[in-house]
Amino acid sequence: MTDVAKTHANSTLQDRLVLGLVKFFRAEWSGAFLAILILGIAIELATSGRPFFHPSNLMTILNNSAAIGIVAGGMTLVIITAGIDLSVGSVMGMTAALTGYVASFWGFPPYLAIMTGLGIGLAIGAFNGSLVAYFGMPAFIVTLAGLSIWRGTGHLSTGAQATPKLPDTFDMFGRYNPFAGLRNAYKEGELSGFWESVGGFVDDNWINFFRTFQMSMLIFIGFFIVLTIIISNTRYGRWVYAIGSNEPGARQAGINTPRYTLLTYMFCSFSAALGALLFLGRAPYAKSDYGQMWELDAIAAVVIGGTSLFGGRGSLWGTFMGVILLKLINNGLTLAQLDTFWQMVVTGLIILVAVGLDIVRQSKNPESVRKLLGAIAAVMAFLALMTPGAIYLRAKIALLEHGAATTLREAGTSLAAGQNARLLSPDEITQFQSAALANLGATLLLLVLVLATAFVVLKASRLISFGLAAVFIAMILPVSLMGYEITVPFLVLGAAALLGSAYVHALFAKARRLDVNAR
Amino acid sequence: MPSFGCTAISGRKKTVKMKMTFAGVAVAALLAGSAASAQDVIGYITKSATNAGWMMINQGAADAAAEEGVNLVSVGPAFQGDLSSQLEVFENLVAQGAAAIAVAPVDSAGIAPAVNDAMSAGIPVVAVDTGVAGADVTSFVATDNYAVAKVQGAVAATLVEDGQAIIYVTGNQAQSTGQERRNGFVEAFSAARPNSEILEVPTEWNSQEAQEGVEAILNSRQDIAMVANAWDGGTMGAKAALENLGFGAGDVKLVGFDGAGDAIAAMDDGWVHANTAQMLYQMGYQGIKAAAAAARGEDVSPRIDTGFFLVTPMTSGTYKEMVGIE
Repeated sequence: MTDVAKTHANSTLQDRLVLGLVKFFRAEWSGAFLAILILGIAIELATSGRPFFHPSNLMTILNNSAAIGIVAGGMTLVIITAGIDLSVGSVMGMTAALTGYVASFWGFPPYLAIMTGLGIGLAIGAFNGSLVAYFGMPAFIVTLAGLSIWRGTGHLSTGAQATPKLPDTFDMFGRYNPFAGLRNAYKEGELSGFWESVGGFVDDNWINFFRTFQMSMLIFIGFFIVLTIIISNTRYGRWVYAIGSNEPGARQAGINTPRYTLLTYMFCSFSAALGALLFLGRAPYAKSDYGQMWELDAIAAVVIGGTSLFGGRGSLWGTFMGVILLKLINNGLTLAQLDTFWQMVVTGLIILVAVGLDIVRQSKNPESVRKLLGAIAAVMAFLALMTPGAIYLRAKIALLEHGAATTLREAGTSLAAGQNARLLSPDEITQFQSAALANLGATLLLLVLVLATAFVVLKASRLISFGLAAVFIAMILPVSLMGYEITVPFLVLGAAALLGSAYVHALFAKARRLDVNAR
Repeated sequence: MPSFGCTAISGRKKTVKMKMTFAGVAVAALLAGSAASAQDVIGYITKSATNAGWMMINQGAADAAAEEGVNLVSVGPAFQGDLSSQLEVFENLVAQGAAAIAVAPVDSAGIAPAVNDAMSAGIPVVAVDTGVAGADVTSFVATDNYAVAKVQGAVAATLVEDGQAIIYVTGNQAQSTGQERRNGFVEAFSAARPNSEILEVPTEWNSQEAQEGVEAILNSRQDIAMVANAWDGGTMGAKAALENLGFGAGDVKLVGFDGAGDAIAAMDDGWVHANTAQMLYQMGYQGIKAAAAAARGEDVSPRIDTGFFLVTPMTSGTYKEMVGIE
């Protein structure tokens, strides 16, 4: 009696939040989604005055994700069956080239050219799929061979030459804007009454919103909605998962596994061909070297989206998020004008973080989550450290390089131009020396913080977590006084992560209890 | 006498066969095909067989080889930027005893050890388009990218007013070609327009990256006056980005580098306002000429500058006539 009363009394907002959190983390796409959110906020903070979370920018990301996204959608199904298709990039390049080629040089009407492209995709899929399903060849090998064969065929059949600009029909797969006609009619003054006000609204918000509302994005989203409905509501969808989790078992249960495997590979190559059409809709011309390395991008998107490379587990929306994350990285880092070489490093790190989140999520272990939050706090402390630390290290390294280059010169080695650049003028030497000295204090202070936080990762104690969170907050004042206000967001986020880590065990316990009650 | 000649030939064929079993690369097949001595084989390791600009360079190389009467063994990498396959081909050519090697390195420093090996084995090496860092070559045949990029930057500066923001699409910043073009452009442009902001779109010579980056920036800023590019693949990518966002020809000015056919066509349509054309055909042609001369033991100039041509709407007719574009 008291228990029941308690449950009812406690069925508060807090409980619903906890249950919502549990539900969110059960979804396969939550890791990628979180990564998108965190990265988006980081980029928004880094790009002052250049709005990142702006509808037109978000739609640009969707537009540019469309072609590779559809390729990755087909790849998801193949990977769920525990297969792999390494040939998608080459198939995409070859169908793009051939579709454009027959449209411009053989005088095929656009619709026939499009059918040809999609037909080629299906045929290649049938070839790959039959070898895998009926001849028992490993998918990795068959499609690795395909990677080379179809790229070569594409180059051979079109002479690796670009076509002239394609007919406007192809824009329907890409840059065509459903509102463009309305806007033009409004500008010509052909509208009246209700439509005139709609046209005016579109024209007023053209740059801010409607300009980037294009077919690429619509097809991309539509494709994933339709595919999700098919996969979750048809026998084919269930068989795909069954084949991936236990192929012999599926066969014994009476599933015609070779047939469904074949179908999946056909669908994957078909998606690659459809992706080619979407790409042509935004590209300057058709060419056989399109889609290089797309197989890796597609696989990365699928894996980031929480789909297991061993098959049987995964979701299309995860892939959707994965593709967006990859494109978002490029878009955001370009807008933030980050140095090229840093972009490469950061891209890899973000992928690691997304997959790391997914692994922790799957572990369902409060201790791993606590460690993750601790690690996040440590990373935040490290980022704060690097603000003065980078200046200090840069100065120290420059001085060391100067020393080494001088020694080499004295030893009589002739240095190349790039190596001579390491020599410093006397002015620069004093500059670097004072920079190193000025940043030493803050660097040491924050270094201690990083080490202390790293210790928390290893040792679970609510008291230490609380204490350290307080230190993070307390650090804000002295560091700001030293002129590093820029580190404040890192310190606040770090404190939040530490506080969170202190409550992880309690949260898990509560969620388990609520879950039991819910049942 | 005739019978003697016959045995000599069959004997040679046997050795060729042996080589094939051991080396097993395309080079060997080509050697066997010609059944000629390795003495007049010139290896030509290109950077790309599919890029429009590189196809012009390769054409020049092929024509020079036909003129010189040498057997040109052209090998391209499996994909653009594949250093390991270039190194492998290079070593095979050295092992086969090619008379000279012309190479367009995908990585200036990465190719250096192989170049050193060849040079110390007495095989002349001619670098085409991209230099070699950390090893001496017999001759370096290329546009002076830095000097031409400075011209590009100076001309680009005349197309915008001081204070207007522009986009610069870079090439691969891990290669000397990409670095020199970027540095030359930025230095000359900033000198003439010190208050203009230059937003960079990094690429690895990939027009898709160029398109997406330009689209992203154009979307977030309304004040971009011009997009300058490190190569014409970028120019075409930037043009596609402009078209995707509904811009018309001339709304945002384009400046190219290379003088590729499609960029010149875009200039005639009013999209591109200036293009510093490399003499691409000349680069391949003079590269192989130099390699052939070095193979015969003649002296070759260590640096052959193939020059450039500034293409503007005014001079595009002359340029098209010169390189044979319709």
